[in-house]
Amino acid sequence: MKLNMKGLFLAIIMAFVVIAMFFSGCKPKGGISSLTSDAASKVYVPPGSYDEFYLFTSGGFSGQLGVYGLPSGRLLREIPIFSFDSEEGYGFSEETKAMLETSFGFIPWDDSHHPELSQTNGEVDGRWLFINANNTPRIARVDLTTFTTEEIIELPNTGGNHASAFITDNNEYVVSASRFSIPIGQREAAIDSYKEEFDGVATFISVDPKSGTMSPGFQLILPPFDYDLAHTGKGPSSGWMFFTCYNSEEANTLLEVNASQRDKDFIMAINWKKVEEYVKSGNGTKMPINVAHNYRDHNKGGMAVSERYTEITTIKPEEIPGLIYYIPCPKSPHGCDVDPTGQYFCAGGKLAAVVPVYSFEKMQQAIASKSFEGDVEGIPVLKYDAVLQGEVKDAGLGPLHTEFDNEGNAYTSFFVSSEIVKWKVATQEVIDKAPTYYSIGHLCVPGGDSRKPWGKYVIALNKITKDRYLPTGPALTQSAQLYSIEGEKMELLLDFPTIGEPHYAQALPAELIKDKQVKIFKIEESTHPYVAKGEKEATVYREGNIVHVKMTSIRSHFNPDNIEGIRVGDVVYFHVTNLEQDWDVPHGFAIQGAENAELLIMPGETLTLKWVPKRSGVFPMYCTDFCSALHQEMQGYVRVSPAGSNVPLKFHTNNKGL
Amino acid sequence: MKKLNKVTRWMALAGGLIMIPSLLLPIWRIDLFAPQYPEGLYMLIWKDHLSGDVQVINGLNHYIGMKHISEDMFPELNYITYVLYGMIGIGIITFSIRRVWMLWTHAVLLISAAGLALYDFYKWGYDYGHNLDPNAAIQVPGMSYQPPLLGHKKLLNFDAWSTPGQGGWFILAGAVLVIGALLLEYFYFKKRSNTLA
Amino acid sequence: MKSVLSILLTGCLLAACGPKATDNKTLAEKPNSMFSDDDRSIAEGKGIGEVKEVTLNNPLDASRVQRGLDIYDMKCSACHQLDTVRLVGPGWQGLTQTRKPEWIMNMITNVDVMLEKDPEAQKLLQLCLTRMPNQNVSIGDARDILEFMRQNDGE
Repeated sequence: MKLNMKGLFLAIIMAFVVIAMFFSGCKPKGGISSLTSDAASKVYVPPGSYDEFYLFTSGGFSGQLGVYGLPSGRLLREIPIFSFDSEEGYGFSEETKAMLETSFGFIPWDDSHHPELSQTNGEVDGRWLFINANNTPRIARVDLTTFTTEEIIELPNTGGNHASAFITDNNEYVVSASRFSIPIGQREAAIDSYKEEFDGVATFISVDPKSGTMSPGFQLILPPFDYDLAHTGKGPSSGWMFFTCYNSEEANTLLEVNASQRDKDFIMAINWKKVEEYVKSGNGTKMPINVAHNYRDHNKGGMAVSERYTEITTIKPEEIPGLIYYIPCPKSPHGCDVDPTGQYFCAGGKLAAVVPVYSFEKMQQAIASKSFEGDVEGIPVLKYDAVLQGEVKDAGLGPLHTEFDNEGNAYTSFFVSSEIVKWKVATQEVIDKAPTYYSIGHLCVPGGDSRKPWGKYVIALNKITKDRYLPTGPALTQSAQLYSIEGEKMELLLDFPTIGEPHYAQALPAELIKDKQVKIFKIEESTHPYVAKGEKEATVYREGNIVHVKMTSIRSHFNPDNIEGIRVGDVVYFHVTNLEQDWDVPHGFAIQGAENAELLIMPGETLTLKWVPKRSGVFPMYCTDFCSALHQEMQGYVRVSPAGSNVPLKFHTNNKGL
Repeated sequence: MKKLNKVTRWMALAGGLIMIPSLLLPIWRIDLFAPQYPEGLYMLIWKDHLSGDVQVINGLNHYIGMKHISEDMFPELNYITYVLYGMIGIGIITFSIRRVWMLWTHAVLLISAAGLALYDFYKWGYDYGHNLDPNAAIQVPGMSYQPPLLGHKKLLNFDAWSTPGQGGWFILAGAVLVIGALLLEYFYFKKRSNTLA
Repeated sequence: MKSVLSILLTGCLLAACGPKATDNKTLAEKPNSMFSDDDRSIAEGKGIGEVKEVTLNNPLDASRVQRGLDIYDMKCSACHQLDTVRLVGPGWQGLTQTRKPEWIMNMITNVDVMLEKDPEAQKLLQLCLTRMPNQNVSIGDARDILEFMRQNDGE
């Protein structure tokens, strides 16, 4: 009996063991990332040494542009573009306020997605960077010698400027295409009249080859699809621009379902050279528009000016055949990318399982032999098989974007399967896959959308960070990841946080621009209307209830630093000139009760802060940028007397009347 | 009719009673792993309800047109409890009756209940994985998403695992005990009693 | 007792000199003959910089004086007065009599190196506690400023 009970006990234990053995060790342990041991040395940039590349990442909903050094991933600067920035006074100072003007008025925010470095002959030339504003459609130009926003142009007839700011291969045009189709000509219409009343547009903004100044070029009126992304042709395909579009179903509600019905949407190929000739010979329809064009006027000391463009030439595709072709592309394509040779282009169908690779040569043949499968509003649809070079198969799920290296390889991001897939352009054969952490959107290879990629790294711009960083409450950091692509296999080197949400990014070798940086603005060359070229010109004067203070700053005092005779009801403009002429000596300016921001004034620059004192009193002002050992002494007072008082206007520094 | 050996009789009782924890523990679980879900998503099936990341799973699955998982989808949840009571009770009955035929009945009932449950689960899985919304955003030709009945299966970017929950292990242990008892009765005690005779 | 002190002192001095000596060694190893020239230039009271020899003209060049005044107003007046009173930097009166013209021009055009190497410039920094900023003045402009300084000193 005793033995038998023992047997029973053993039997029960055995039952568990058998089951445990059956199921043990079969589930994966999540969150594995493998790093090779020398990854650290590959991203280590010793203190005092420079990074090899500049990386420019869009700020997404921050509206700005992040500048990082690679391979270290160190944040160098955040350039304010579409959102105001109290740190520098961008959008607050009188010199920069007008940069954020639009036809809707002053707009202090936007959603910036796609930075694009200017190109000459299809190669990155390091002159400017263009970037789109998605929400209130605009394109900005950043000067890469000052890293400042020099110009912003608003786009007419556009809903959602997503397929932007991509350039043609010699900066002739920077393009935009509408994500949202709307009734053209700023008019209302019933939303369910979408198919009849709504139109998409592709806009080509002219870029002055010398100054970079942007002006309306021409605009194509298109079927009401959602135009998504674009890239220029180059080499043999120079003169063409390729766009992706989805929602060929022309849905206007619950697009998540209704715009995902068709097996194929389109790539749109535009022969812009031909459109340009057509427009230059006087064709097209001039349409009245009202869009803002803002720029820093360097004949006025960098004072931003907001002007209006009032006309654009529009073209309807049916006017002249042969301008535009649609090419079928699997399921809601997103990224649209052209390889460095300009012979192949591909698109990532975000709901598709394959990446189609098209041949420009085959496209030309298909056009010549009229291998069409139909048309959309008069635009021929080429046969998929006639243009297709091949498909990248079984690569991953949810392909989005492709960048290229200098050795004939392509790198495609896969959002759903959260990985980068390396494949050979010539054979569409998959070479390697690397997981990203997590859910990669865009990706970037230095020069990876140009004729001359520098290769070396691929940067993943991720949508989710999850468990990768120390948690910071419900909102977690945004992040990018750096992979080496020097070997056959991609190798993860570094995670680094980014500002806002990084969409697209572009990178260039530091050598291309680092020695062209502007160090100071020469004070003797200043054209600012309120510059004080020396303390002798510092002054305070009244024009009715407006008081102008022409003030200087130099280590470590303001002139004047005692001001009296301001009255409640006055509007005071502090025009502060930084008299320094040495690199890296900005001065700040802040005054108590200012409802805008501070000023951060670069050497030789003049910036203006508007100040409306609401009550009488004595108000301190001081320098906010630690400038010298006596920075804390760099301060002054403004006396504000009640409205109507007769305290005379008086100002001085060190009791020296001026 | 033949009486049960003492050991097998107690094993039958244990086989029933050992299932009691399954009334308080999840019976089955489905785990999903993907690159962007390194910590995994899981769904637990209890005797009368579901728990875990059901909402997240539903959110993901709607892209490929799978139905929303909800408790209404499983009428089984209304009677699993009684089946479990029955399985436990039958152990006590076998113990009390202590006849070999009762052990047989016990084993057959248990196996058929388990078989039916698995079949039912498979049927649900098939419908869930194949009966997709024709308007779904992502449609991969020829692809279906039937969850694995048991063990591992790759579904698009997800690794899916279907395994017993803690309660399920107790049920399995019960089944192993009862079937074990039957085997012992025939291949061990029977022989021994023969030689003794 | 005295001898002990003197030994201690010598020891301190030697210790203080130690690192400097090696510095000098590494400097000397550089194939750069400029260093001895610089040292000579400092010793002559001309400071360090591109300005080696200034030929003064007499009488003063009136257009130079005017240009010098304009630059003074723009880039110098924030810190330097034209009398002997020190504001941020020293007043300018009498400067052309106490400093060599080469020193003045080097101080204006090469201030960072001067503050690092020239003992006279360093003495001024100890007095004023504010590093004179590099105001991006060319050699030609510095010559104009010098001309204006000479006029300010009554030449």
